[in-house]
Amino acid sequence: MAHVLSVLLDQDLLTLNRAMGVIRRRNLRVDSLAVGASAVPGAATLTLVVSADAGSIDRLVRQLRKMSGTRRVAAFRSDEGVVRELALLRVRSPAGRHAEVTEVVSLFGGSVVEEGEDELLVQVAGSNAFVLSFIRALEPFGIADLVRSGAVALERGGVAAFL
Amino acid sequence: MTDQLTGAQILCRVLQEQGVEYLFGYPGGAIMPFYHALPEYPSLRHILVRHEQAAAHAADGYGRATGRPGVCVATSGPGATNLVTGIATAHMDSAPVVAITGQVSRGMIGRDAFQETDILGITLPITKHSCLVQDVSELADRLREAFAIATEGRPGPVLVDIPKDVQNQKGSWSESRSSGAPTATPRVEIINDFTSAAALVAAAQRPLLMVGHGVILADAYAEVKALAVKTGMPVITTLLGISAFPEGHELHLGMPGMHGEVHVNRAIQHADLIVGIGLRFDDRVTGNTSGFAPRARIVHLDLDPAEIGKNVPVAVGLVGDAKSLTSRLIEAVAARDCLTWRAEIERYRRDRNEAYRGDLSPESILRGIEEVTGGSATIVSDVGQHQMWVAKLYPYRQPNSHITSGGLGTMGFAVPAAMGVKLARPGTPVWAVSGDGGFQMNMQEIATMVQEKIPVKMAIFNNGYLGMVRQWQQFFHGRRYSATPIWSPDYVRLAEAYGIAGYRVETSRQTEEAIARANADPGPAVVEFMIEQEANVYPMIPPGGSLSEPIEAEPAPAG
Repeated sequence: MAHVLSVLLDQDLLTLNRAMGVIRRRNLRVDSLAVGASAVPGAATLTLVVSADAGSIDRLVRQLRKMSGTRRVAAFRSDEGVVRELALLRVRSPAGRHAEVTEVVSLFGGSVVEEGEDELLVQVAGSNAFVLSFIRALEPFGIADLVRSGAVALERGGVAAFL
Repeated sequence: MTDQLTGAQILCRVLQEQGVEYLFGYPGGAIMPFYHALPEYPSLRHILVRHEQAAAHAADGYGRATGRPGVCVATSGPGATNLVTGIATAHMDSAPVVAITGQVSRGMIGRDAFQETDILGITLPITKHSCLVQDVSELADRLREAFAIATEGRPGPVLVDIPKDVQNQKGSWSESRSSGAPTATPRVEIINDFTSAAALVAAAQRPLLMVGHGVILADAYAEVKALAVKTGMPVITTLLGISAFPEGHELHLGMPGMHGEVHVNRAIQHADLIVGIGLRFDDRVTGNTSGFAPRARIVHLDLDPAEIGKNVPVAVGLVGDAKSLTSRLIEAVAARDCLTWRAEIERYRRDRNEAYRGDLSPESILRGIEEVTGGSATIVSDVGQHQMWVAKLYPYRQPNSHITSGGLGTMGFAVPAAMGVKLARPGTPVWAVSGDGGFQMNMQEIATMVQEKIPVKMAIFNNGYLGMVRQWQQFFHGRRYSATPIWSPDYVRLAEAYGIAGYRVETSRQTEEAIARANADPGPAVVEFMIEQEANVYPMIPPGGSLSEPIEAEPAPAG
């Protein structure tokens, strides 16, 4: 089962490095990883999607909690929260096909960020599955480049898992 | 009042303020500003080791003996990397250590400068905390944090990496603000259920108390003894829990696990309740966890919430320091005895299989040390067969009188660690017991003992083999003694070369006199014991095996 770990850390590379070491040493499968600013000044949120059993997740949470630099740790199943990521794609689009590509993008609630002569830079945000279907829908046009942000997440109802 | 001082001087001031008596270290390029300042602070006594690994082990030994951080100092690059084994040893055994390393100047970091190494990156998984000091203005606070984090909660090693130009940078110094120690761990509110724990103790037919290093770290000897006496629960001491409960007490059973006595492991396998205090159910204690204590529910008391349920499933977990938790548990439990259960365990006892041939037995050597020192010695052991003999056969009656590398199992630990222990306990005889393999890993430290006048007594159990590996080869690898025969120099002449007393003991008749002369010598001394070459440690649980299946004699040769 995919679990989301949301870890509030001191915002410095050494603390991030230490947290990643704690995670890596447990030899778990990390599907996604994202780091960004949080609501707390001086702290960053590290969001991980980890495929592991509940016991391994619990042990990982407790190891992260005792690390210096950790401010709080929340863990929840991915279906217990809102999990979203952003994708940016450069899609091949000879001048005549811009409208076709744009239509697909709008269908997914995405947007065209930049128009080139024979390509479009587009973005979409959504769940992992949603982003994957978006990518699949654009594949027939040809995808020249693709980046994904990694998932960020908030637990539904929230707070409970925070310590 | 504030003074303008260099980073190096601020470092010395903080060390003084933290009550540091000894620094174990070795100078070099990137730490030279510190060594330049050091003579201005004569209360900081520097012990010049012969290898930085020894500095880390000595700091670890000092930390374990006093409960205060031991301090080691090294330069950047190879100086820092030589500390690594010692830091890892301290990390695995929760020993308070502060390691201070010089780093190349800030402008040179990341350019593969001479003697530059990313010691922070290298030590991340083996430190409790670490930092690179970015500016002299934060130096004092980073150091104070390091001392606080090394001892608070579950102790551990902290590394502070200080660039050379920060050591030279001028900054303002002010005395420590009494603003409370910074905390490493987020405060977690824990509700401990003593009532459930007490109910399990009351309901059990076959309860056991298993105690580990946490009892020594929290100074919880009296509480653990009172709990044992109130409930009649027999007491098992893990390798690092040895000397947490007096040997020879009627409730004391001994050491469990891979080389535990048969009656101890049988008691575990028949127990219906284990109350574990300050131990982590390491695999050398449990054997295969799926077969460990199959009938027992476990009540686990530990300071570190991450230990509860880490290795074995726990019925009730209580989080806090061993002293306060045990006191609360004493209040909660009803007085009882366990006479039937204790009688049952007595029936599991076996005579120890003679582990040696010839007349110089490990038992007689250890008895000799105990008799000569009147039981007052602190024993620092190395790793291997002798470590198990020292753990099982020496009668520890003083709290924290047994110091060894348990978790990491670091050969070469005893001799340098004993230097730190001896400096911490100048009035106590300190015996470093090693095999001929481990002794040769750090015997260069005899020079340190001579130069710094640290009278450690060194016993060498010489069997001409890396004995524990040889024993495994004998049992599990068809007696193929690959790379285990090991040559030794003439230790008596080695001692002579260092200008210290050296004795060789070949029969048990010579034991007591050699030990007595070494012990009475004002300086360091070496006593080499020529023991049976193929002596084994019995019983033994095969690696990954269940505690129910001990090997008690040499297995028949395969095929």
